[in-house]
Amino acid sequence: MSVVALSDSVADELRSILGSDYVLTNKSSLYNRARVPAPFPVHRWNEHIADIVVLPETAEQVSEIVKLANTHKIPVVPRAGGTGLADGAVPMTGGILVDIKRMNKILDIDLVDRTVTVQPGINMLKLNEELRRYGVIYPDDPASYPCSLVGGRIGTGGWSLIGARYGHTRDLVISMQVCLPTGELIEVGDGGGRKIRKSSTGFQLKQLFMGHQGSLGITTEATLELVSRPEAEFAAFFGYPDYETAYSSTGALAKSGLASLAGVVLFDEWKVDYLRRDDEAYIPQPPELRCVVAVAAYGSLAETKPASQVIMAIGKETGGNYLGDEVSQGDWAARHDRYATPLHGRTPEGQVVPMSWHCEDAAITYSALPMVREEWHAIAKRYIDDYGVFDDWGMFAYTNGAHKPWADYLVEIDIGIWEQRLDDTVWDAWVQCKREITEVSLKYGGSITACHGSTREGDAEFVPREMGGGFDVMKKIKRVLDPNNIMNPGKNRLDEAYED
Amino acid sequence: MTDVRGSGERTVTNDGLQTNGHGPEGVTEEFVAEWRDSAYGCFSSGHKFCREVCPVMQVTRNENHTPTAFHANIVAMEKGHLSVEDVADDYIHCVQCGACELRCPNTLFTGDFYRHRTRTVDVVKAMRALAVDSGVEQPNWKRWVEATMQASNEPVVDGVSQETVRDWAEDLDIPTGGDTILFVDCEAAFYRTSVARASALVLRQAGVEFGLMQEQWCCGGPAAEMGYIEHARTLAEHNLADWRAVGAARIITLDPHDYISFTVDYPSYFGDDYDIEIVHITELIAELLHEGKLTLTQPVDRIVTYHDACRLNKRKGIYKSPREILRAIPSLTFKDVDHVTQWSYCSGAGGGMRIERPEIAEEIARRRMEKAAELGIDTLVSACVWSERPLSERGAEQDPAIEVRDLMELVADAAGLDYGGVQR
Repeated sequence: MSVVALSDSVADELRSILGSDYVLTNKSSLYNRARVPAPFPVHRWNEHIADIVVLPETAEQVSEIVKLANTHKIPVVPRAGGTGLADGAVPMTGGILVDIKRMNKILDIDLVDRTVTVQPGINMLKLNEELRRYGVIYPDDPASYPCSLVGGRIGTGGWSLIGARYGHTRDLVISMQVCLPTGELIEVGDGGGRKIRKSSTGFQLKQLFMGHQGSLGITTEATLELVSRPEAEFAAFFGYPDYETAYSSTGALAKSGLASLAGVVLFDEWKVDYLRRDDEAYIPQPPELRCVVAVAAYGSLAETKPASQVIMAIGKETGGNYLGDEVSQGDWAARHDRYATPLHGRTPEGQVVPMSWHCEDAAITYSALPMVREEWHAIAKRYIDDYGVFDDWGMFAYTNGAHKPWADYLVEIDIGIWEQRLDDTVWDAWVQCKREITEVSLKYGGSITACHGSTREGDAEFVPREMGGGFDVMKKIKRVLDPNNIMNPGKNRLDEAYED
Repeated sequence: MTDVRGSGERTVTNDGLQTNGHGPEGVTEEFVAEWRDSAYGCFSSGHKFCREVCPVMQVTRNENHTPTAFHANIVAMEKGHLSVEDVADDYIHCVQCGACELRCPNTLFTGDFYRHRTRTVDVVKAMRALAVDSGVEQPNWKRWVEATMQASNEPVVDGVSQETVRDWAEDLDIPTGGDTILFVDCEAAFYRTSVARASALVLRQAGVEFGLMQEQWCCGGPAAEMGYIEHARTLAEHNLADWRAVGAARIITLDPHDYISFTVDYPSYFGDDYDIEIVHITELIAELLHEGKLTLTQPVDRIVTYHDACRLNKRKGIYKSPREILRAIPSLTFKDVDHVTQWSYCSGAGGGMRIERPEIAEEIARRRMEKAAELGIDTLVSACVWSERPLSERGAEQDPAIEVRDLMELVADAAGLDYGGVQR
């Protein structure tokens, strides 16, 4: 591929498309759009700087920007909330960074056919504040619910905490308008209708434009599912004396067959130890509590009331000790931001230091969870012992399948990294640690990532291996849709599509 | 950086300053050394939970205007990538309301244990001060502060001066000095005098003895917010000397901005020598109602909502007393919006936004009144006189129009007091 430096005349053309207020070239604008919350090589910040930032407001402006970039073969990096836990929104080779936050309008609310059509820069919490008056919600509920944006959810193929009941982003987006890498605006969905949920006309193109990490275009509008605002939300947290009991209980709860089941979350011993450091819900728990399982059900009262009784019965019958209403309701209410703040970080000597958060998000089958857990913690321990700047914040396993939560799990090991100590040696060690974690996921037939995307070092190099023959198809599609490799180059190893 | 409770051997460490060979120098270096560790508390998180509650960001949608950027810039300065000249414009875009600090996971979820509150307002103030020290000034703030220093009061209307600062009280026969001083903000003294008059009469009705200063100067808060610390100190030193000269031990503030100046800025200027009790009037009036020293008997037939003043609600956690007062007013229909929802509301009047970026301030106020209009109210009640001018302007545009009243004006109505003054 050839990257052409961005010239003054391109900047002028961008200004004529957007107006000069929305074309940013100052250093602060570039440096503040270089990273996401994932571990970032802060000592090499200047390697992730776009050449120019644009803030479009309409789909037509996005189309004009992309056409211009394609003509001049300039990389385009789409950026929504910049809240991802992998590097989808991080510029790898400069270019034009398309920041879509100004595209945050609600275009249409259709209560008859139960859809809402939005621009991609809107946040789900803000959208639901507007929908509240109509008695409906858009139930896409990631940990980043208060800050991530619809466009980023689509670009990364997001996962929702209540996906077992309502589905994940790809299940909740009915159709989209997409700006292709050549600048054309097209509509993709199931078949041709914007509000059709199931069609067999043509190819199933919608999923192709989900989770592509901005490598196949930019979503400029999305028509989303509306569901009735749940009448009731039930959450129960159970404590267990050991992992094996908690693991069995998790399986029993996930296989309960309750349609209102929104999710089951297993906290392992390391996670509970981590929470005991400073979390006032866990500090008072007795030492014999080693693991926790959280369960939630959403829906009408007619569904959730009996479901709550079934959940309580299964939890207790499988060895769980109910932690009480305060912990259950409080922790579930705080689910979006309880578990990872920099101040939890500890050096091996016990010093509190602000640490950034790596959140592994492999998809692993239920049967493999115990082995993966042991191997991941062993890897983390070696790097903690050797370098003194990492910290094991424990593991969660969340039910992963939309509407069928019984088989595979989003498995998270959280690792703290002391960013102030980052240099090339530590960063290389981190990437090596990450690679070893990924190897384990693949060894057990899992997938590198359930929701963040395989864009960061330590993940991306395994994409060809995980995808197998499918990777050749990916490269062919990429080359056809993006002949000049302008859309978010450097991601998912797709630069290899242009090597021959 | 943080006090750690629970275990003696755990301490938060400061790491060495890395400059990559082309690092900042002089005042910038000192600034970075002071703020770098707390900046990493945000940078290492990067979650941006603050972003959608930020009143400015909701309008501009520009990532440079986020609290995340305000902290990340400091890390970038530490690494030698950015200078104060590069970032000064970013920090204009803050109303210093404090919503981001409350919404920060570091405050919400580990704050209790570590007694930690993320400090973003202080970072903005410090960066603005660094900009002024470095010769990077904003023209409208500079003009505003110069005019304030010339008149000793803020130029909230044409012709403010020490000769007219007490005109609002001309016929009220309020003494000078005494144990308790009523500090009347510039906006209330010169622009919306009905607030000052209503407050004075309500206090008198409740039997509170108070006087006025000999020479009331601007509290200095706006100058401090805009980065002119030395000017702010000059004003503060005068006011403290005036209080001491008249034997004051307690100051009642009408205005939440003054309350911040006297409880946050003044202690930082004067240290242990500063021994003045500061009371905000809503807290005092709520107490007087509880004690039965003030009774409200006149019906006020209005349908109201309450606008949580940012500096009371978000900066100081004062949100109960205004609601208690409203609930004590006969015949009032009070449609409350909880104080947490109101973390994302603002009038746009704070942090110098109305002076340096009026179009953003105006849009913040418009959105606030749009939210109020959804409630089907006829009156929005505020306890911040600075919010009342922009909110009144935008309230007049609603259909039907929404009137903006100060909480003390409503209390005076309910107490049957005829306070007069200019209410606009």
